[in-house]
Order: sequence, then C-alpha cells, then structure tokens
Amino acid sequence: MGALSSLKVVEWSEFISGPYCGKLLADLGAEVIKVEKPGCGDKTRSYGPFPQDMPHQEKSGLFLYLNTNKLGVSLNIRSVTGAEIFKELLTESDILIENHSPHEVEELGFDYETLKKLNPRLVMASITPFGQTGPYRDYKACNLTSFHASGLAYLNPPEVDDIEQEPPLRGPAHQGDLAAGLNAAIATMSAIFSCHATGLGQHVDLSEQEVLASMIRRNLAGVTYEGITMTRVKGSQSRGGSVMGHCKDGYFFMLCNTDKFWANWVEVMGNPDWAASELFQTTISRRENWDAAKMMIEEWAREQTVDEIVRAAQAKRVPCTPVNTVRESANSELLADRNYFIEVHHKEAGKLTYPGAPYKLSKTPWHVERSAPLLGEHNEEVFCRRLGYTRQDLLIMRAEGVV
Amino acid sequence: MTMQALSGLKVVEWCEFISGPYCGKLLADLGAEVIKIERPGLGDKARSHGPFPQDIPHPEKSGTFLYLNTNKLGVTLNVRSTTGAEIFKQLVKQADILVENNPPREVEELGFNYESLKKLNPRLVMTSITPFGQTGPYRDYKSCDLISFHVSGMAYINPSCGVDDIEQKPPLRGSENQSGLVAGLSGAIATMSAIFASHATGLGQHVDISEQEALANVMRITLGTYALEDVAWTRYRPVPLSEIYHCNDGLVYMVLDQDKTWLSWVEAMGNPEWAMSELFQDQVSRRENRDAGKMLIEEWTKEHTVDEVVRAAEARRIPCKAVNTVKESFSSELLADRGYFVEVDHTAAGKFQYPGAPCKLSLTPWRVERPAPLLGQHNEDVFCGRLGYTRQDLVTMRAQGAI
Amino acid sequence: MQKLPLEGIRITDFCHVWAGPHVTQWLAVMGAEVIKIESNLHPDLTRSFFAGDKTLTPGLNQSVDFAVLNYGKKCCTINMTLPKGRELAKEIMRVSDIVTENFGGAVMDRWGLGYSDLQKLKPDIIMYSGSGFGRTGPYKELPAYAPIVDAFAGLFSLNGCLGSEPCPFGVGGWTDLVAAQHGAFAILAALHHRSNTGEGQYIDLSMTEVASSFLPDAIMDYTMNDRVQGAQGNRDNAMAPHGCYRCQGDDEWIAIAVSSDEEWKAFCDAIGNPEWTTDERFRDGLNRWKNQEELDRLIQEWTKTYSHHEAMEILQRAGVMAGPSLKAEEVVQDSHLREREFFIDIEHPEMGTVRLARLPWKLSDSPQGNYNHAPSLGEHNDYVFKELLNMSDEKIAQLQEEQVIL
Repeated sequence: MGALSSLKVVEWSEFISGPYCGKLLADLGAEVIKVEKPGCGDKTRSYGPFPQDMPHQEKSGLFLYLNTNKLGVSLNIRSVTGAEIFKELLTESDILIENHSPHEVEELGFDYETLKKLNPRLVMASITPFGQTGPYRDYKACNLTSFHASGLAYLNPPEVDDIEQEPPLRGPAHQGDLAAGLNAAIATMSAIFSCHATGLGQHVDLSEQEVLASMIRRNLAGVTYEGITMTRVKGSQSRGGSVMGHCKDGYFFMLCNTDKFWANWVEVMGNPDWAASELFQTTISRRENWDAAKMMIEEWAREQTVDEIVRAAQAKRVPCTPVNTVRESANSELLADRNYFIEVHHKEAGKLTYPGAPYKLSKTPWHVERSAPLLGEHNEEVFCRRLGYTRQDLLIMRAEGVV
Repeated sequence: MTMQALSGLKVVEWCEFISGPYCGKLLADLGAEVIKIERPGLGDKARSHGPFPQDIPHPEKSGTFLYLNTNKLGVTLNVRSTTGAEIFKQLVKQADILVENNPPREVEELGFNYESLKKLNPRLVMTSITPFGQTGPYRDYKSCDLISFHVSGMAYINPSCGVDDIEQKPPLRGSENQSGLVAGLSGAIATMSAIFASHATGLGQHVDISEQEALANVMRITLGTYALEDVAWTRYRPVPLSEIYHCNDGLVYMVLDQDKTWLSWVEAMGNPEWAMSELFQDQVSRRENRDAGKMLIEEWTKEHTVDEVVRAAEARRIPCKAVNTVKESFSSELLADRGYFVEVDHTAAGKFQYPGAPCKLSLTPWRVERPAPLLGQHNEDVFCGRLGYTRQDLVTMRAQGAI
Repeated sequence: MQKLPLEGIRITDFCHVWAGPHVTQWLAVMGAEVIKIESNLHPDLTRSFFAGDKTLTPGLNQSVDFAVLNYGKKCCTINMTLPKGRELAKEIMRVSDIVTENFGGAVMDRWGLGYSDLQKLKPDIIMYSGSGFGRTGPYKELPAYAPIVDAFAGLFSLNGCLGSEPCPFGVGGWTDLVAAQHGAFAILAALHHRSNTGEGQYIDLSMTEVASSFLPDAIMDYTMNDRVQGAQGNRDNAMAPHGCYRCQGDDEWIAIAVSSDEEWKAFCDAIGNPEWTTDERFRDGLNRWKNQEELDRLIQEWTKTYSHHEAMEILQRAGVMAGPSLKAEEVVQDSHLREREFFIDIEHPEMGTVRLARLPWKLSDSPQGNYNHAPSLGEHNDYVFKELLNMSDEKIAQLQEEQVIL
C-alpha cells in the first residue's frame, strides 16, 4: 500500500512539468490515469534518449522515467465524445493535473470554474510558464525562457571572464520544468489537506517563473533589502569559498569557505609556503586575492589524481568530491550502497536502469509497481471496466479518432 | 532471392486507407519495392479501423491494414514539415512510381502536384487516386466509399436480384470498401501502362484515377445498355429465376437464364407438372411469373440439402453454388486445394490467415516476403541506408515531429 | 475566514542552514506550526550569513539569509547538549505530529531522539531526516553541501556552454531547494497516509539521490546507450533556434526558442524576413538544428538592435517563445510578477520592512499563506514553554538557570 493509495488523479499533461508532478504522486501509490492524444501521445515519446538512438514511441528514456506507475489511455478530448469521457473521468477524481495554456483550457471548457460544478471536490493543479493571471499569462514559453525569466540563468555560470561572450545560461536539461512539477505536487497535496477540512477542492495556480524565481529568493532579497546586485562576472558572486580544478585525471571540487576548512586544506596541500602569505589568511583577504590562490591550488592539483585529492581532503574533513559525469555517479559506491538505481522491465523497451527513489519512506516505501504505459494500454480497463463502455464502443471511437 | 515480376520497380506510396494502399499492395505483392509513407503517431488511418483481434483496437493489429500493406517498407514522415517535405522529394527523385490518394487541393498546396514533381524526376509515373479525379466541378468535393458507390450508379442497381418495393428499399452500397479496392485496382493497371509507355518515351506521366469512374466502369454494360438500347435498370429488375433459393440447410444461388438450363433444371426436379405450364415456357413469361416460379422451385429445394441441390445442378452443367458466409468459403475445399489463403506471421499481430494471390503467375509467383510494416519500421533502412541521414539526424527529426 | 491547509499540524524542527529550513518553510507557509529548536549556544548558522558590508556585523536576528528561509516559523531556545534539554525537547515532540532534522551525521540517534526513540514517545510520529548522502550507506556521516552533492551527482558536468568543462551550478542553492521540496512532498504524503491509517513513518532523504532524480535525460542515455552527455549550453535536442542572444543594453540578453516550422515562419516574419532566412541552411528544421551556430550569430545581429523587453514584445506578438534573461533587479521590477503579488512586504521587529519573494504557492480558495516574519532567537519561548507545555514560571526560571533554556 502506498502513502497516497487513496488518491485518484487524472493527468492531462505533456512533456515534463505535469508528468513529473503526476509521477511523484503515482510513485507513492496514487492512481494516476494519464490521458494522451491518440497517435502521437505525449510529445515526450518523440524525445530521446532512445536505445541505440532509434526513435520509438514506446522507448523514450525520458518518457519511461517520467511515467512509471501510471495507467495510460488515449483520448482525443477535443472531440465531443472525448470531452464527455474526460468529464466522466473527472467526476470520479480527486485531482486533475494539467499543463496547457490557460487560453486553450478555457476554450475547451475545462477551466476550473466549469469543472468544479462537475465535481466540487476536485483539486485542479494548473502548471504553466507564467500562471493563470497577469500580463504574460498567454505568452509562449518553454524551459529555456522560464529559466531565464526567473533570474536564475543570469547568474549562471558564476566566475565568467567575459560576460559579453558568455550569455546567461539555462541549467542542465529540463531542471526548470522538473522543479515546476515538483512544486505543483506540494501545492496539490496542500489542497488535498484543505479538502479534508472543507470538503471542497480548489484551483492550484503554479507558475514556473515563480517556482524558479523563488529558488533565488535570497538573491532577490539582496536586491530589495541590501541593494546588492550580482552578475556572472568573476568576483560578483561570492569568491574564495570553493575550487573546481583540474587534476591529472579529471576534476575535483572542494569547499573552503571557512577558516577551518581552509587551514585543513592547506595541510592537504602539504603546507606550501605561499599559503602562509598574508594574502590568504582571512576569508576577506582570500576573496580579494582569489585569482592567485586559485592558480596556486591548481598548479598543485595538476600533479595529483582525483582520488588522491579527495581521499586526503576527506581525511581532513574538508568537503571535497570528484566532479563526476553521470557515468561515474551512476557507478558510484554510494548510490549502489543505497540501492538508488532500480531496474524496470517494460514490455517494449525491455529491462533498463532508472533513477529510483528521491526519498526513503519507512512504512510506505517508494516503488515501481508498473512501468510507463504503452500508448492507450489501459483504454479497456478505464473506459470499459470503470466507465461502462463496451468493446464495440471502443472500436467505433477508435475509427472516429476519439480514442 | 528469386526475381519477381515487378522486381526493380521502385514505388513511393503516399496514401491512406484503402484505394491507394491496395494499388501499392498489388505492385508490392509482385515484387516492386514499395515505400509506404505514414504520418508520425497515428499512421495510416486504416490502423484505427478494425477488425482487431478480440475487438481490442491496436495500431499494429488492424486486419484491414495488415492485409492491404503486405510486402511494403514503412516509414513515418510528416510531409507537411519542411524537413519532411525535403525528404519526400528525395524519395520521389529516386522512384519510378508515386502512388497517392490525397485531395488534389492539398497536393497542390504542398507543392507535390505532378507539374512540380516531374521537374524533379521526369521519369516519374504519378498515380493519383481520388473520388472524382483531378478535374471537373466535383474535383474538391468530399467523399468516401459510400458516396463513391452511389455516385457511380452501382448502388442504384443493388441488389441485382431486385427488391419488392423500391420506395422502402434504398439503393445499396456493396460490402465494405469495394469502391476503394476497385479504384486501387484500376490504379495498378493504369500505372503499369504508364510504365510501359515510359520504356518507349523515357518520360513519366500523371495517371488520373477517379473512383467514381472506376466503379461506373464496372457496370459499363449497364451504362451501354442505357446508352444504346434506352433500357434503364433499377433495383426492380429481376433476371428471371436466377436467384437465391432456400434449401433445407442453407441457401444456393442458381442461374437459370436460358431455355436450355431451365429445361435441365426442370428435369432435375423430376419434371413437375407446374413447370410445363405456359407461365414458364420462355424467358419472357418466366420473367413475368417470377414470383410464382421462385416459390414453386423452392418447394422442391426446401426438401433437399444445399449439397444435393448443387450436385444435381452441376451434374447438368447448371451454374449453381452454395451461398457461403465468409466462414464457409474460407473453409471450402476449393480454396484450400488452390492454396488460396496464406499464413502470415506479424511481429505484433501474430500469425493469421490472409487472402492470398488474386492470380497465379507461373514464373514469378505472388508471395508474401514481409508482413505489413510496423509504424516507422524502416525509417533507418530508408532514411539512413538510402538517403544518407545519420541516426542522430533521425533522433532530432523525431523530436521535431518531422518523422 | 478559510483555514490554511495544514492548520493543526505541529512540527518540531531541528533543521538548520539551507536545505532543511526550506522544507519546513513550505509547511509553515501552508499553515503548519513549525517550532524551530535553536539555542544561543548553537543558533542556526544562517543567522550569521550576510552578503553586505563585511565590516558590519548584523545581529543574530538581522540576517537576510535567515529571514528569507524562515518566515512563518516559531523559535524556542533549548540547549540540546544537556540531557535535560533533550528531555525538554521530547515534551514538545510529544505534542507534535512531525519532527524534522538535517544534521550532518547521526546526531538525533546520539541524542536518543532517533526514530525508534520517538516512536515510543508517540507511535504515529512522522520523522523527516534530510542529509547529503543518506542516513545509511558509506557517507552517512558526511555533512551536506549542495555544491559537493552536485559535483558528485554529475550536475556540474552537465552545466556550462556547449562542450565546456564542468561548471559549478548552484545559484541560490538549487539542489538544497530541490531536495527540500521533495522532502516537503514526502512529508505531505506521509501525513496523508497517517490520516488514512493512523500510521507514522520515517523519511530518509539524500540530496544526492534527489539530484540524480532531476537528471533523467542524462541518466537514461547512459543506462540505455552507455553514452555520457556533457554541457549543452542553452541548446536543446530538437529546437533550433534555441538560445540566448545579446540585446542592446549592457549584459542584456533575450532567450528565444522555436519549436516548429510554423513558429519559424512567424519568427522570420517578425524580424522582417531578412534574406538569410531563406538560405538553404535554415529552411527546414533539421538543417536549422545542424547550422545553429551560424543561425545564432545571424539572429543576434537582429536582437542587438533592441532592448530585451522590446524584442520579447515583438516576438510574443508573433506567437514565438521569447523572454528576457532577467537580472534579479529586473525580476523584482517585473510587471507580471508584480501583478501576481509575488513580492510581499513583511514587517520584522529588527529589520524593518523586508520585501521578500513568496513561495510559488497559490490556491484559489485558501488564504495567501503564513508569511509572518522569521523569528528572533527565542521569540516564542513563552508560547512554547508556558502555553504549549503548560510549565510554571518557576519551572521555566529553573531551567533557565540550569542553562537548559538557553
């Protein structure tokens, strides 16, 4: 039994933000019915990675990961019959997750005001780039533009030599969309709690821009309260607290943002003369002379292997780690010991290794009960067994493009 | 691999549903290489039409699709995308034949009309199969199997044994999809003729097939009769005594349209008295007294089995056969003896019996080299193997929706 | 007046610094009563973070970092180094629903306040334990530092311009917050389970695992194809153009993404159909993707002639995804966020009015949220000891003397 076993969710969403929200709920036991359009399905199915780079609707690594534990149906909600069936599903659900443009949702008649008449207990989570209100509500956006619109990209990467040449940088892959889905899951659960008390659902308005901007709220407070502004330029953000450097065989990263760490680090380096200089004795002086310190550290590091440095530093309790690629982290002793990666068997894609539980719950552990659904895999289970349609009905609806 | 009759011919099939694909099948089954282009996601709409095993719709298990697309290579391509259009033109450049059954206006809008394509490939034979042809006031009218059957005049005289009350019994479309099949068949013949022409001239041409014409052509005798003899047939047009008779365990159809066969049959029935009457002495009188004649014959046949009746008739060289359901014809000794049905093994749908060769060629027989393709099954073969794209290109194109 | 969703839930909170407090901040904003346990001996480290003039030393109640991460919470001071302090803390936990902590190492166990201990106190207690590397495993005693976790999990290797070396990523403590949000969600799920079954449980959250959960593209590519992805810059697997382009002002940029042929056409129309847009290299999706370096260079010639807001307006009108890369100052000024009341003025007894970004939590029928100012050290001692625990003044005085309440 999962922590969220009693919850019934309909997920009408595409790509990443909505599906990640749905995954979080499904992986803890909620019943999530994912509604995909007939034919192409969720557009993530067209995105890789694919095994051996061979695109296949049922083998997108991103889709497989984001949609574990869900039931999948194909439904064209823009058809009249499809819209009816969609509403029938919602009447019996606790939660609807959707990530379509507010304009489209209204046009289709699936806005919250309408749906709540159908099911007053429904919690509707709408995940959009800019939220349900405001001047940018109908602006087009994606992970790239949301990341930049939040102020996060402007500060990435730190320590740039020439900001004219190096633009603000989105984070890796789809961090923004994933964060939006994650925050939506929290907000959705809060609305469920509210519903326990009041018996009524509500509309959760999740703006990806706000999600990301709130991640840098410390910096925003710096602007409003302290009048401090930061850029990507070397020296603008805090310096002297960490080093990422070349070794013989890779990169290491270490933190020396306290006097204690710095002192221990100096020992790791074998107490070189230069470290005794006045220039490097306090946090402030190190910050001011960081270019020099960094250069000396890197000169030393280039003679060591990653392993040597990390071991020596950890022995002196200086936070230090190899800078891993995904290969190294995936093969790390740490994650293996924690049984983090799991093998999932999928009808079409076969056995593959997936990232596993982001948390361990002692009583109702995270687990994968079913792999991501094939397109329309649960049409019969959902439409026939739960809503009472017959197989014959499905045949007609398939030919009409409804399912 | 042994040569087949049409080995060496390269065909691109840009078609949906029945008419175009049947034309493509006819060519493919005799060895032409047919590359079938389907849109990404949904594919050919026949995939959404049954019959399906156990009535469970599945895009890889539509009986109609499986039958119509044996022996073809299948690729997904969105010809409406710019990349997709480029690839389409590259395929057409390398082809001998293009079969398409898209609305003429759409073909023009996309820039794939014959005038444009012949500049790309002057040898191209382009076969366009449409409800009403490439010209004329109905050119852009919307149509389907039902409409085609009726506008050809075929429905008006169906059923051919006539009906009692033509007010109550409307003109009747034939059994499913006959229009498309006939049009496709006509297309195949015409295409081959154009291929022969190109042997002589070195140039291709545009083959214009109108479904309406293809069907009307089937009843050209009826049309001729009208044109020349001013006789207009309707559904009230019984051919005397050539009809269906009830036996005690089924139905037979017997042709008794000549004096000779009539007399033989009377003999078979043991020369009953009623048959000697004036009412049945010749064709004209038999037509006038058809109702009585039928009833009296059936009094005899109802005392006998189908088998007995058929034997009795055939012994006297009277055309007569049981009226079979598809089940009975499928299990018939005749078709088994001819090896007509063939077993085809399909990765997704499994092993089924399919209708086989419509005719037997002694040197280059009809055969199934490969079952109908999975959606996009040959993307790599065709796009990478022949057009030089890389796997990475395909990954990008899939994410962009071009394939 | 509608109640907040978590009203009635009480949390004894040992979280400190960055990741932990963000978990309980979500819960506090949504209405839970979060009682932070600190002491004058060991105040939350964040209270001494400050970014401004290093010659000033703001007081323990004046740190912006602390204010930003701890609004909505209460604070009482207990000296946890003393057994009596732990007993006192136990009393609070006895009347709490959830206990949260993110110590580096098994501090709670050593204090006799591990999950099995707490279960004896209150069988249905939910305990959340956040760490860098998990409460089991070879690194369970190591403290958590988000950049260390990121470097380990591969995030650095995926950040940077196309083909660059690994670049530190972690503005705002990205992984701290992502981990915390997963934690908040897990707690809510555990609460949900408890309301159905009466059962509590233990939640073990490792930041490294959370970081990995946010890298599915790269991990699945590795597990499927044995391929190691590197930094992509501002690029995408399918869309082109997809990048960040210089605008007129200093360090001013606009992000633009085109995802279909239709959008490409709209983009070309919007920028006046310059000749290069009909170049063969850019006429179809695949070729645009392959030639995006040149494409980006040409687009930048257009964007450079506009301010980033102007460019956005022009492109959005045409239906193209485009948005400025905002600096923090611009985020604060953003008209859209203002209309959505993203910034709240919080009155703080020592800091005055502090304008802070709210959480992205917006429900149609619940109140806005609990955004009371971050607590001063020991601000709620009276409430916790007198009202909640019903202790007499004498008892409290005694504990103060014994330096238990400190």
